[in-house]
Amino acid sequence: MTANTQLKFEEARSFLLSLAKERGVQLEVFAQRGTETTVQAFGGQVSEFKLSSKQGVGLRALSNGAWGYAYTENLSRDALSRAFRSAVENAELVEPAPHAVLAAHAEPPAMDLFGEGLSGVTVERKVAVALRLEQAAKESDARVVTVPYAEYSDGESETAVANTEGLDRAFKELHAYQYLGPLVAEDGQNKMKMAFQVTREFEELDPTATALEATRKALALLGARPAPSGVFPAVIENECMALLLAVFSGIFSGKMVEEGKSPLASKLGERIGSDLVTILDDATLERGLSSRPFDAEGYPSAPVTLVQGGELRGFLHNTETAAKAGVSSTGHASRPSYKGTVGVSPTNFVLASGEGTRDDLLTQLGTGLLLTDVQGVHAGANPITGEFSLQAEGFWVENGVVAYPLDVFTVAGNFLDLLRSVEAVGSDTKMSIYGAIAPSVRISSINVGGQ
Amino acid sequence: MLDRELVSEVLSVARAGGADFAELFMEDTVTTNLHLLQGKVKDAGGGNIYGAGLRLFYGTNVVYAYTNDCTREGLLEVARAMARARGQGGEVDARGAGGLDFRSLDAQKLWNVREHPLRTSKQAKLEIARRAYGAARVGHVKTVDVTYIDVAQRILVANSLGDWSEDERVRSRLMVSAIAEDGSDRATGYNGPGAALGMEFFDGDLPERAGAEAARIANAMLRAGYAPAGKLPVVIGNAFGGVIFHEACGHILETTSVAKKASVFADKLGEKIAHESVSAVDDGTIPGAWGSINVDDEATPSERTVLIENGVLKSFMVDRLGELQTGYRRTGSGRRQDYTFAPTSRMRNTFILEGDKTPEELIAGVEFGLYARTMGGGSVSPGTGDYNFSVNEGYLIRNGEIAEPVRGAALVGNGAQDLLNIVGVAKDLSRGQGMCGSLSGSIPTDVGQPHILVSEITVGGRA
Repeated sequence: MTANTQLKFEEARSFLLSLAKERGVQLEVFAQRGTETTVQAFGGQVSEFKLSSKQGVGLRALSNGAWGYAYTENLSRDALSRAFRSAVENAELVEPAPHAVLAAHAEPPAMDLFGEGLSGVTVERKVAVALRLEQAAKESDARVVTVPYAEYSDGESETAVANTEGLDRAFKELHAYQYLGPLVAEDGQNKMKMAFQVTREFEELDPTATALEATRKALALLGARPAPSGVFPAVIENECMALLLAVFSGIFSGKMVEEGKSPLASKLGERIGSDLVTILDDATLERGLSSRPFDAEGYPSAPVTLVQGGELRGFLHNTETAAKAGVSSTGHASRPSYKGTVGVSPTNFVLASGEGTRDDLLTQLGTGLLLTDVQGVHAGANPITGEFSLQAEGFWVENGVVAYPLDVFTVAGNFLDLLRSVEAVGSDTKMSIYGAIAPSVRISSINVGGQ
Repeated sequence: MLDRELVSEVLSVARAGGADFAELFMEDTVTTNLHLLQGKVKDAGGGNIYGAGLRLFYGTNVVYAYTNDCTREGLLEVARAMARARGQGGEVDARGAGGLDFRSLDAQKLWNVREHPLRTSKQAKLEIARRAYGAARVGHVKTVDVTYIDVAQRILVANSLGDWSEDERVRSRLMVSAIAEDGSDRATGYNGPGAALGMEFFDGDLPERAGAEAARIANAMLRAGYAPAGKLPVVIGNAFGGVIFHEACGHILETTSVAKKASVFADKLGEKIAHESVSAVDDGTIPGAWGSINVDDEATPSERTVLIENGVLKSFMVDRLGELQTGYRRTGSGRRQDYTFAPTSRMRNTFILEGDKTPEELIAGVEFGLYARTMGGGSVSPGTGDYNFSVNEGYLIRNGEIAEPVRGAALVGNGAQDLLNIVGVAKDLSRGQGMCGSLSGSIPTDVGQPHILVSEITVGGRA
């Protein structure tokens, strides 16, 4: 390997597009670049400081009706040419996709995801956020033994999509976020809980509030008692409901439907949840974690309703899955990064809110389970069948109030049964770290594995 | 990959703010990804991961930075930014001045790759995936996904102590998912063998066996009822069954959590933490194994580390930073997904050693319980030791015999407690392959064990 001269981001794109035009190949270039700063605090000091700068291009060539992919982080002319040849060669191996098309899609909406930017934020202020997280947690309660995780992180990035059909668009975004996990102990019991805050403006971060939230959550788990085994009515707290929603969002993917992997495949127009269930996806939400003006194909973003009053109204699509299904793209083409292939993914995936606070739902519940978190979703939840069996965290509720926390236990069920068993939807909407948004819900029953 | 003089200069510039230690990691990685759905080529891709990471230690505090621009100017620019990162830039520390005289470490070459994937046609790779697909189309299996992956990662690690190490890591893997359907019933099965080998890994009938195993599980689970909920004795299968040790115990023996006292085993060295039938190792030296490495991502040679011997805690898994923090000997466990991560202490091939029972003897000892034959993944909270993992293929045990199949359940518990509850270990050790996610990204690791009997675990099923 020689230390080849690297082209600038924009130069790399136009170099690739001109290569493609010379060879008569239709090409899409998906490019990302960004910088990040991460500060971890431990023991009153900065334990880790990370600066990063990353860029890369993902190529998708449409050659003889078939897609071929390649990517490179090396932006030398040689490496870019190699990636281009590789994409064309890969297209020759792949089955032609009858609906494959590259186009200059309609103009995307104007969105500001960058705010004031980070250029005016000094390193000292970032460090202060990380240190404050740890300190505030330690000061909050004598039972906080240590804070193994306390981190501030920010990033500025640019995503660009261009193709040989004349599409060329880009957007910039910023995130600033903080999280911490204090370890609390009492009577030989250890508990740890994470809390986080993500924003698009540095000034909005409130480390003390996040630290207090994490400690409060961890302390609430002390004094846990064995959970009973059985079937119980339950309230699923907003953040946990948002997590479940994110995990099973794949069942609404037009790609999963097309490939026979969604349990909703033949249910369009049918009732799949209680009439209190309305689910939508909105990439244009002003404060959404996953907001963006256009998708990985450059297709403009717009909100889409998937379930209305319990009835399945549609699926998420990119241009290809949409064409196969005889509908229009919903603007949900996704790429995990320039390394990945184009699929279908949700953005801000939302369970619409209803009426009443979490406490109102608990009052209605009377006696049963308050489910506050689940773990192990990557293995214990199966979007192909809808089944789940997961490590859980929660509280026993008696006479409408939280009685005591529960030792580690499990919850099991099927996500579609869960949607059908919704008896009340709260108004306390919260965004999970996975980008899904949900209020607390009350369901008629869930299987609990404990003692 | 890079000129020694340039590396020396970059490390010196990075240390100009007074850092005790500087390290450069560079990689040039070529990947191939092929995806077959229903026997047809759905996606063909892959590419070039290319970048460098620089790490500084100030005492036990770390500054890390990375870039894709590995030109002289690109690297020097990052080094200068790092020297300023702690806000004391400009001062050239005595330790930062002067050139480095690198010495190459004695190259530990544990095995050789015979057929390099970059010298093999993609058609030949597709043929391997097609064979797995053919073998999976049995019984009620309606949908089969096969993913073929190969990776050739060339790395360079050099540091201000003068260590210089270069290596190439070749890995190959086949992942088969099968969906069986009958009426409204559906079940999934999965098998994903992998190795740190080239195309020779696929010699013989490996693709057919991978396909058949995924199909076997999907078909077996198609008409399964639900697992019961509650505390039960559980016999856990060999190979990927070792994920229980990986989650319940492995992660909390990494110095990353030990050093922060966020591990329930932090002060337990030399103490009995498991039943006396349990011995376990983390062995990075098995030739061609999926998690094996000649040298870790910090230029420390890989080794076989005994973690637990007859129930007694013998060692942690220690990286360079962990050694500084805890004083424990470095074990060649510093690993990272790629240049975008600073290395942390991670597992390689982690498994429980053989005992003296047969699997049948373990099952015969259970009146009513669960036989968790194949496993999915899991996770653990290091601070508490609470872990979970999921059962892909399970059966009830009635009166000492394997009875009806039951659908995937979660097993949950606490690592520190459940290690003491392993009461029987069989003599059929084998290993399975997975990707382990943690602070320094997703890395290939083997899990493994013989069949084991755990006296009591909470099973998440339906009451």
